[in-house]
Parts: sequence; structure tokens; C-alpha cells
Amino acid sequence: MLRLLRRHSSLAIILSIGLVAGSLVWTLHGPEAFRRALGTAWQVFLTVLPALLAGLLLAGSLKQLIPPGALAKWMGAESGWRGLFVATLCGMAMPGGPMAAFPLVLVLAQAGADRGALIAFIVAWALNGFQRVLVWEVPLLGADFALLRFLCGLPLSVIAGVLARRIPLAWTPPGSAAPGARP
Amino acid sequence: MTIGQGILLVLALGAFGLALRRGVPTAQRALRETGDTILRVLPLLVAALPMAAFLAELIPPDLAAGWLGPESGLLGIAIASLAGGFIPGGPFVSFPLVLTFLKAGAGGPQMVALITGWAILGFHRVIAWEWPVLGGRFILIRLLASGILPVLAGLIAQALLPMFPHALVRP
Repeated sequence: MLRLLRRHSSLAIILSIGLVAGSLVWTLHGPEAFRRALGTAWQVFLTVLPALLAGLLLAGSLKQLIPPGALAKWMGAESGWRGLFVATLCGMAMPGGPMAAFPLVLVLAQAGADRGALIAFIVAWALNGFQRVLVWEVPLLGADFALLRFLCGLPLSVIAGVLARRIPLAWTPPGSAAPGARP
Repeated sequence: MTIGQGILLVLALGAFGLALRRGVPTAQRALRETGDTILRVLPLLVAALPMAAFLAELIPPDLAAGWLGPESGLLGIAIASLAGGFIPGGPFVSFPLVLTFLKAGAGGPQMVALITGWAILGFHRVIAWEWPVLGGRFILIRLLASGILPVLAGLIAQALLPMFPHALVRP
């Protein structure tokens, strides 16, 4: 129920911003600009639609193939640098939006992945997810810009993971055992 | 179809083929999952693309060329990083906006910082998804560890830009 509410809140926010912006465009720049904007939106839609459908099929299939427990074992507290690299790779390979990614992070945390790996995973997913780069960034911004942006983002997930391990704040995943229960 | 889209299609068919080898029920679950996501994403997409186009129409071009232009340097990178955090919605909003900014004369490093700020800070996503699922304390740790990284990405982009002469040219 909460999921449903959150999902529709996104749609409501986007719709209301769009209505306000659309009426502003109509009054400030005239109906010609309004139609031009709608034409641009339609072009973008046609550009990304085939890749979007392929990306969603990839997401749906991978979810059936990869058990989260296997991932968590590779990202434990003793995993060191290897854990951060594994988390970065998994984050980049992770398809789907926040409705899939954050619940998976919670599952990984409850299965024993450490915070550095979790944060490296989130940053790599949000920043360099393959699906997002291939569906949106390459078609819209061009391969050269996408590659430049990707390279700049590549080291960030590992840096974030290293920093996160050094921050002296205790955290236990919601819904897991009491602090200290896990070595 | 671009090369990227071709790669994606091959990956998707490969993954679906692997699911099919696990048995027909697994493949059916994968297809049902895909259908559910399409039904969830399409309304968002249909609402968000006009919104992004309207916003792009409203943003004055000299804003992109001035505050976020190639000459804006570190200050422009810092502004872009923070502004990126306030872009609502998914990639269907942010990337069309960045395209508009680039066409209006924004700088490459500043746009790298904007995308990175949107991905890492993304306040809309933090409030709607990360906070309810993982809790405020986790978000504090994550933002302490990654909050400054969009600026770092912009600086790296500034150093690498000479190696990418075609990065700002639209095909």
C-alpha cells in the first residue's frame, strides 16, 4: 500500500510540475513554443523507446537469475577492496529504478554486506548503471559525452565506499537483529 | 538504432535466453516482471517527457551559457552539482534537460557535475525511496561519504575534456 502511494506521488509531482510549466510556456512564449516542446518530447520518446523495452526485459530476466544471498557473501565486512569492486560491478549491472534497487540494498544489508560495499553499490547503480547509460545517455547526449561522463564517475563509487567505512556512526539495517548480534 | 541500443538488445535477449534455459516458468516470471515494469514506467514517461520539454523551453539560454558555461570553472561545477540534486524524477527528466543545456552552450565539466549531482544527491529519490527503506542514519552516512563527489567528477571531466574533442558536438 505504501509502495503504491509513493509510486503515485511521483506521478502527481511530475504531472503538476508539467502542468505549471506547460501553462507558463503557453502564456509566455505562445502556442507555437508549446507545440515545439511537445514535438521535442515525442522525438525523445521515439529515440529511447526500443532501448527502454530491451532494458526492462534485461531487468526482468536478471532478477530471475541472480539470488541476492550470493551477492551479499561477496560484500561482507571483511571483504576489503575486493568487496568494493564487486559492489561497484554489481551496482553497474543492476538494472531497474529505485523501486528495485533500494529494497535489494536492504536485503544485502540484512544478509551481512558492509556499509562501504552498500554505499559503493548505490553510487555505482545511480551513476553508472549500464542500462541507464545505454538507454538514455548514449542516444540523447552522444557516445563521446557519455564515455567522458562514465569515466569521470568510475572511481567515485570506490571512493564513497572507502569514506563510508571510516565514518564513525553506527548503523544497523532496519528489520535485522539487535546491534552487536552480528560479529 | 545506435550501437548502445544494439548492445542492450543483445544483452536482454541473452539474459532472457538464460532464463528460458532454466525452464518455461522462469521465463514466464521474467516476462510478467517486464510487463509489470512497463505498465509502471510508461505513465511516468508519458508525463515526464513533456514536463522536461516545457522546463527546457522556460530555462533562459543565457543561464546555461553564463552560470554553467565553459568559463564558469569551479564555481559553475559547484552550482551544477547542487542544482543536479534538485532535478526531480528519473533519467527521462535529467538527460533531456542536460541536452537542452548543452545546446544552449553549457560547459562539459559542468554538465558532468550536474548529472553526477542528480545521480548521487537526487533529493527527490532520497526522500521517496531511500529514507523509507534504509532510514535517515544510513542516508547521513551515505551523503557524508559521497556528497562532495559530484564536484570531483566535474574536476576530473575538466582534466579529461581535451581528450574528448567530440564530447560537446551533437551528431
